[in-house]
Amino acid sequence: MSNAFDFPGGIYPPERKQRSNQSALIEAPLPSRVTLPLQQHSGQPATPCVAQGDTVKVGSVIAKREGMVSSALHASISGTVGEVSTTQISIDGDGQDAWLRLPPLEWQYAEPHALLERLNESGIVGLGGAGFPAHIKARVVERHTIDTLVINAAECEPYITADDLTLRHYANEVLEGAQITAKLCGAQHIVIGIEDNKPEAIDALKQALTNSQPVPVELTVIATRYPSGGERQLIKKLLDLNVPSGGLPADVGVLCHNPGTLLAILHAVRDGQPLVSRTVTLTGEAITQPGNRWVRLGTSVRELLEQTGLNTSELHQVIQGGPMMGTPLLTLDTPVTKLTNCLIAATLEELPPPPAESPCIRCGECESVCPVALLPQQLHWYARAQDDAKLERYHLFDCIECGACSYVCPSHIPLVVDYREAKSRIRLQRIEATKAEHAKHRFEFRQARLAREEAEKQARKQARQAQQRRPSNTAATNSEKVDLRGLRIAHAAAKASVKKAEKTLARVAQEDPKQSLDDLEMQLATAQENLKAAELQLAQAREQQSSEESS
Amino acid sequence: MSMMHASGVKDAMTTTAVPPTASLMRWVIAATLPGIATMSYFFGLGVISNVLLAAAFGVALEAAVLRLRQRPIRVALDDSSALLTGVLLGTSLPPASPWWLIGVGMIAAIVVAKQLYGGLGHNPFNPAMVGYALLLVSFPTYMTLWAPPQEMLPNDLWAQITGTLPTTQLDSLSGATPLDAFKHKGNAVLASEFWAANPLPNGTLTAWQWVALAWLAGGGVLMAKRIISWHIPIAMLGSLVLLATLFYLSAPSHFASPLFHLLTGATLFGAFFIATDPVSAATSQRGKLIYGAGIGALVIIIRTFGGYPDAVAFAVLLMNLCVPLLDLYSVPQPTGQQKASPGKPGEQP
Repeated sequence: MSNAFDFPGGIYPPERKQRSNQSALIEAPLPSRVTLPLQQHSGQPATPCVAQGDTVKVGSVIAKREGMVSSALHASISGTVGEVSTTQISIDGDGQDAWLRLPPLEWQYAEPHALLERLNESGIVGLGGAGFPAHIKARVVERHTIDTLVINAAECEPYITADDLTLRHYANEVLEGAQITAKLCGAQHIVIGIEDNKPEAIDALKQALTNSQPVPVELTVIATRYPSGGERQLIKKLLDLNVPSGGLPADVGVLCHNPGTLLAILHAVRDGQPLVSRTVTLTGEAITQPGNRWVRLGTSVRELLEQTGLNTSELHQVIQGGPMMGTPLLTLDTPVTKLTNCLIAATLEELPPPPAESPCIRCGECESVCPVALLPQQLHWYARAQDDAKLERYHLFDCIECGACSYVCPSHIPLVVDYREAKSRIRLQRIEATKAEHAKHRFEFRQARLAREEAEKQARKQARQAQQRRPSNTAATNSEKVDLRGLRIAHAAAKASVKKAEKTLARVAQEDPKQSLDDLEMQLATAQENLKAAELQLAQAREQQSSEESS
Repeated sequence: MSMMHASGVKDAMTTTAVPPTASLMRWVIAATLPGIATMSYFFGLGVISNVLLAAAFGVALEAAVLRLRQRPIRVALDDSSALLTGVLLGTSLPPASPWWLIGVGMIAAIVVAKQLYGGLGHNPFNPAMVGYALLLVSFPTYMTLWAPPQEMLPNDLWAQITGTLPTTQLDSLSGATPLDAFKHKGNAVLASEFWAANPLPNGTLTAWQWVALAWLAGGGVLMAKRIISWHIPIAMLGSLVLLATLFYLSAPSHFASPLFHLLTGATLFGAFFIATDPVSAATSQRGKLIYGAGIGALVIIIRTFGGYPDAVAFAVLLMNLCVPLLDLYSVPQPTGQQKASPGKPGEQP
């Protein structure tokens, strides 16, 4: 079932998935204490709504959504709220595991807005690692027509097997979750993309495929190659569609979800169970019982690894996520969050640090593996030189940070580290730049408001004068020449600029829902003030002219 | 934050990664051995003395300049790039060149062309070819002294290397290379007449062809091991053969055959060992194709119409000059981008 569409580049790192995919997916022991960070998703952190000493059940809301792009947080064990800080909430368990569930919903009959609200109140975020709130993602239909829902089960990074095991155990449930999501976004097709190194999951999916209703589901098995699980890469490979630079999959009518997220959506809708646990791959040479576990959010990484036979003397580093895109943990006393898909307890021999960096010899190997067809070595050159204009011209912001270039670099240059630094530096500059722009627009708005007030004052004054003057019928006003034509042009221009501001605002809001619209709102308000002033002046001039004519 | 690196994994199912930079250089050096051995077989031990002297100069000069620049010496020497430059320049010179000639060439190559520009990875020109070009224009007498095929141990070897051989005797050693002879056959002489006159010392043409095939073998290994990408050699040889064929077909009695161009002079050596120097070549794959094709075309043009019998060094240096421009205009289109040419300003969203 191979297909002709493909993305450029790619690498074949050792898979090392056998270590964790040999045993069944089981529940990790219930933790006695959990620590839940307020930010386990992209966007704004949640706001705590419990206090120290409160009794909570599994599923009680402990922090609320803050702003549009944010997500609610629930207690993952029953017990007493310990500490509530600005960054996290801890809960001491009572060992009861008492649940507080929402009423079940029949998704076939439920209203879309009820389903959407359920995702919102269940705190569902993308479990593939990015953590984008699912209810915001579902609302994409307000601006785009979605044709296809892609289930991203490629899981191309070495070591990770969480999606693989999820599909082996819950293929039917994942597809049902996909049907719910398809209903929400109006998708006509569901396509599963999965790498050919997961035969058991593929078999399970084939079984489940036939029962899945009502949207037809298609299974596409793709060759194993990193990074085929990148959203853009997978969409290119499955559907031969190019997601535009800076755009979203929705721009080409596609919505992408990870199997774990779809399962969580089903649990939230069918069982009324909010997101309080997730599957985590526990692997690496430094633990003796690797495998996948259902882990309650907030469980300590140290506790979890110790339960699976952590060999501390062998341990070199623990990596959260995969070896290509994950991050090494600085301390093991950190909780499992909604974003933790994999923990690798690696020995030194397993993932040795790269040898010392040597100069780039421009061999071009990085270019041949880049899945976005960028020129990584040119970017490296300009990133080191901090030449931001060149970086943007060479499309730094199209880099997906997959690490393929770093993997093959014969000079062992940490290319992705350079790109990340450059990106955050440029982002910071952009924020600074817009700050100045914003201040300028605020000033313009104030000027426009004052001008409008002045025009109003003039209008009132003239009206008063006209009232006093009319009986006496004086010819004094004749000397004032009224430039009616100029005012009419100014009025038309002001009207056009209001239209333009409205259009810009609508377009930007549609293109990038994450963008702050304050500044554009301000520009629109300024244009509206200008229009009002122009209208007043024109009306005033017309009045004057007609009074002259009548006299 | 890639924690996995190709050089650190031993269990990769498909190895696609190139070896680390240092062993990359050593692979290239190893691939020159068939060529050097064949050359020595035909032209004597003077070839080996050239290579050894140039390599020694290379390492010594690199170490000296790094010391002056206060850079770590060990690390830079470990990458073997200076050694490689020495080997490449050594094989380019006429066998048994005097030591001072090699020294001057290596100073131009390592000190001027490489280290003064910032060392490995920063030189815009191919160091070995800068050294070669400088010697060719400064000491033409010595640079055209290609002896005909001879014994492994020529009589005056030592005197030649030490530079103590009287200048009067130098000419007697010299024999024309095939390219040399063809270049100076004169316009009135037809190609067929030229060959019929048996213009070269015995076995010269055969020797050059065997040497060329040895370079091809070494280059083939490098390509098979993915040490060098195919783009530059194939583009260079392709454009060279194409242009030579066009000329040859237009006037076979006047121009040399494409096969003659391919198998004499530095064509194959240049295609696999000189033009492929990644540092001074174009970076993108499209750029490499243009770069290679440019070298091939320039070689034929200079050989046919220029003042020098061979032209690989000048062709490579001229194309080195074009690299910044090629890099600017050969950027691939990233997936998702509507258009991509960083050469054109004002297309950023």
